[in-house]
Amino acid sequence: MLSRVAESLFWMGRNVERAETIARILDVSYTRAMDLYTRDDGRYEQLWRSVMRAAGFVAQPKIVTPDRVAHETLAHCLFDRGNPNSIVSAVRIVRTNALGIRAELTTELWQVVNVLYLYVEGQSLRSAVREGPARFLKHVREATQAFAGVADATLSHGDAWCFLQTGRFLERAYLTARMLDASDVEREPWQESQRLLEMCCASEPFIHYSHDAPEPRDAHAYIVLAVDCPRSMRFALREIDLALHRISNTPEGTFANAAERRVGRLRARLDFASADELFASGIDALATGMLGDLLGLSSEIESAYFPRLPSAIGGSL
Amino acid sequence: MPARGAESEVMPVRSVLGDHAPDAVTSHYDELFQPGGNPRDHYATLVATLSGIARDEVLARVQSINTMLLQRGVTFTVYAEAAGTERVFPFDIIPRILTKSEWDRIERGIAQRVRALNAFIHDVYHEERILHERRIPRELVYSSRSFCREMIGVDVPAGVYVHVSGIDLIRDTHGQFLVLEDNCRTPSGISYVLENRTVLKFGFPDLFRGHGIHPVDDYPRRLLRVLRHCAPQAGERPNVVVLTPGIHNSAYFEHTLLARRMGVELVEGCDLIVVDDVVYVKTTSGLERVDVIYRRIDDDYLDPLYFRPESTLGVTGLMNAYRAGNVTLANAIGSGVADDKALYRHVPEMIRFYLGEEPLLENVPTYDCTDETERRHVIANLDKLVVKNTNASGGFGMLMGPFASHDERAAFAALIEASPRDFIAQPTIELSSAPTLIDGQLTSRRVDLRPFALLGAEVDVPHAALTRVALRDGSLVVNSSQGGGSKDTWILQN
Repeated sequence: MLSRVAESLFWMGRNVERAETIARILDVSYTRAMDLYTRDDGRYEQLWRSVMRAAGFVAQPKIVTPDRVAHETLAHCLFDRGNPNSIVSAVRIVRTNALGIRAELTTELWQVVNVLYLYVEGQSLRSAVREGPARFLKHVREATQAFAGVADATLSHGDAWCFLQTGRFLERAYLTARMLDASDVEREPWQESQRLLEMCCASEPFIHYSHDAPEPRDAHAYIVLAVDCPRSMRFALREIDLALHRISNTPEGTFANAAERRVGRLRARLDFASADELFASGIDALATGMLGDLLGLSSEIESAYFPRLPSAIGGSL
Repeated sequence: MPARGAESEVMPVRSVLGDHAPDAVTSHYDELFQPGGNPRDHYATLVATLSGIARDEVLARVQSINTMLLQRGVTFTVYAEAAGTERVFPFDIIPRILTKSEWDRIERGIAQRVRALNAFIHDVYHEERILHERRIPRELVYSSRSFCREMIGVDVPAGVYVHVSGIDLIRDTHGQFLVLEDNCRTPSGISYVLENRTVLKFGFPDLFRGHGIHPVDDYPRRLLRVLRHCAPQAGERPNVVVLTPGIHNSAYFEHTLLARRMGVELVEGCDLIVVDDVVYVKTTSGLERVDVIYRRIDDDYLDPLYFRPESTLGVTGLMNAYRAGNVTLANAIGSGVADDKALYRHVPEMIRFYLGEEPLLENVPTYDCTDETERRHVIANLDKLVVKNTNASGGFGMLMGPFASHDERAAFAALIEASPRDFIAQPTIELSSAPTLIDGQLTSRRVDLRPFALLGAEVDVPHAALTRVALRDGSLVVNSSQGGGSKDTWILQN
C-alpha cells in the first residue's frame, strides 16, 4: 500500500486511541475527584495533578487553588487546540488523516469519523463545564469505540488494518505506561490502584481474576502483565508484534527491521520475567523505561515504512 | 379476532404539490408540467405519489437527507469563502425524469460528438487535415491556451484523448435539447449523480414505485474498463491510479469516491515518482509501476519541468514518461483544445468533416468576436446576449447581458475590443424549468443536463447524467460555485 496511506492509518489509529483514553482518564478521575472535593488535605489537587501528568500536560498552572487546577486540566485536555494531546486536537488529526485517505476507508468508517468530528467541533468548554464533562466524554468514548467496531467489521483486514492496529496499540501501551508513571501509588495505594484499574477498564476483570485479597501491587501487575486484558501492556505489545509481522510477512520470533526487534524484546521480557523482577526498581522505573522504549519503537516504525523519500530521483533537474 | 391495522384509505393530505400553480403561459419549456398545468405522462406516477405524502413529512425527510449528506461528507469547497469552507452540495428531492426516446436521442448525439472531438484533437496534433482544408481557421487552434505544442506528433495509447467528457445540454422553448458546452478536460459531477440516487432511495423510497429506472452505480466499473483498455501495453492487468490535487480541491470527494468504487489507489503528486521515464508509486513494499493515471489535475500543474515550475501538485518528469509512451494520462494532455469555447461553434463542422454525418444535437447560435462584423453586432446587442470568456469555466468571467448594469456592459465591451479571441457571445437561451422545493414551497427553477461519455474501444454513454438546477430565483446559471444545486436524474428503461 501507499506509504502516505500507511502513515495516515498509523496516526489515525494513534489519535483515535488517544481521544478514547484521554476521555476515559478524565471521566474516571472527575468522578473520583467528587469524593475528595470537600476535604482540605490536598488530595483533590493531588489527583488533578496526576491527571495532568497522565494526559501529557507539562506546564503546571501558576495559580494553585484546587479548583483552578481542575479547571485548567479540563480546559487543556478537552478543547485546547494548541495542545496536541487534547481531545479536540486528536479528533481533528483523525479526521484530517481520514480525509486524505478517504478512498481507502469504507463509507461507514469515514462516517463514524466525520460524525465524531462534527460533534466535537460543535461543543464548547463552557457547556462541558456547566453540565459536567461526563456527557461529552461519554459521547467521545462511544464514538471512538464505534470506530474500533466499524473498522473491525467493515475494513478489509490486510495491511491497512495492520497499520491502524499498530497505531492504536502503540498509543494504548504508551498511555497505559504514562498512567502508571503519573500515578501517586506511594501516597494513595488503594485509591490510586483502583483509579488505574478503572482507567484501563480493568476493575471488574481484576476482581474476577484475583479471588483472594489482592494487594495494590497485584493491580499494577495486572495492568502490565494480564494476558487477556485488552488494555494491559502485554496485550498491546502482542498486538503490535502480530501486526508488524503480518505487514512484513516475517515469521514470529524473527525480525525484519529494528521495530520488530525491539517489540520482540519487550514482549519476551513481559512474557517471561516474574512480577518481582519487573517491579524490583519500582513501578516508576518500569513505566519510565517503557515510555522510552515505546518512543523508540514509534520512530523505528516510521523509518521502516514512511521514509521521507525525495519527491523525484533520477529526474533531469 | 386477529388484530388488524387501520384500513388502508386514501386520506386527503396537504402535499408540497398543493399550492403549486404552474404558469399557464410560459416563455420556456417545463420538464414536469404541460402548458395547461397537467403533469406530462411520464411524471404522472411521481406526481400521484408525491401528492400522497404530507408536506410536513416531506420536509422532515428532506431534513434527514441533508443530515445524511453532511455526515457522508458530500460537500464541495467554496474558494471564495473562509479557507476550506465545506458546504453540502444542495440537493433537490424532486427527480428529473427522461423518457427512453429522449435519452436514446441524447445518447446517439453525445456519442457522435465525442467521436468527432477525439478525431479533431488527434488531427490538430498530427496531420492537421481540417486546418489544411480550411474548414476551421488555423489561428483559432494555435491561439488556444489549451493547445499544447509538446503534444505535436505524440501518439497517445489507443488513440484516445477524451477518455471522460461531460457534454452540457439545455432544452430550448420547444423542448429540443441543444449542446451548450463541451467539457473535455476533467469534467466533474458524477459523484453527485451516484450520491443523489443513494440519498433519494434512503429518504423517499416510495417515489421509486412504478418506475423502471436505469441504475447509475455501474459508472465506476465502466470507467475502469475504459482506463484499462487505454493502458500503454496490452497484456497484464494494468495498474490504474487516480491522481488528485488533494483534500482542498473542490471535487476531492468525487476523487475519493471514484477511486474507492473502482478499487484503485487515490494518489497525490508526492506519492508518484519518475525513474528512467517510468512512473512509480511509493508503497510500503517499495516502488510499484503505474500504467494509467486518471488525473484530476489540470495540464498546467502536471509536471513542473514542462509547465508551471512552482506547481507542487504534479510529478517531476511525468511529461517525459508520457511522451516515451510508458504511461497513459486520462484525459490526454492538450485535450482542452477541443473544449475551447471559441472552437465550440465549429464542432458541427468537425462532425461533418471526420464522420461524414449531420450533427444529431444542435449547437446554440454563437458569435465569434474575432470576426469584425460579428463583434460589432455583439457590442451593439450586449443587453440581449450572454458573453463568455473562452478560457473560463464554472460560470465565472461571464456577462448575462439582460441582467447586467450599463457599467458592467460597458466594461465587457472594452474587454472584448481589447482581446476579441477571449470572448464568444450567444443569445440568452431560456433554459427549461423544473419544479423544485425552495423553503418548503414548490417553485419553478431552471435546469440543465450533463451526461457523461466514456471513450475506450468505442463511446460508452452510461445512464448517469447530472441535472443541475439554478436555485436562485430567475437565475439561468446552474454552476455549483454560483448557487446551483442538483436533482436525481431518472432515465426510464421503457
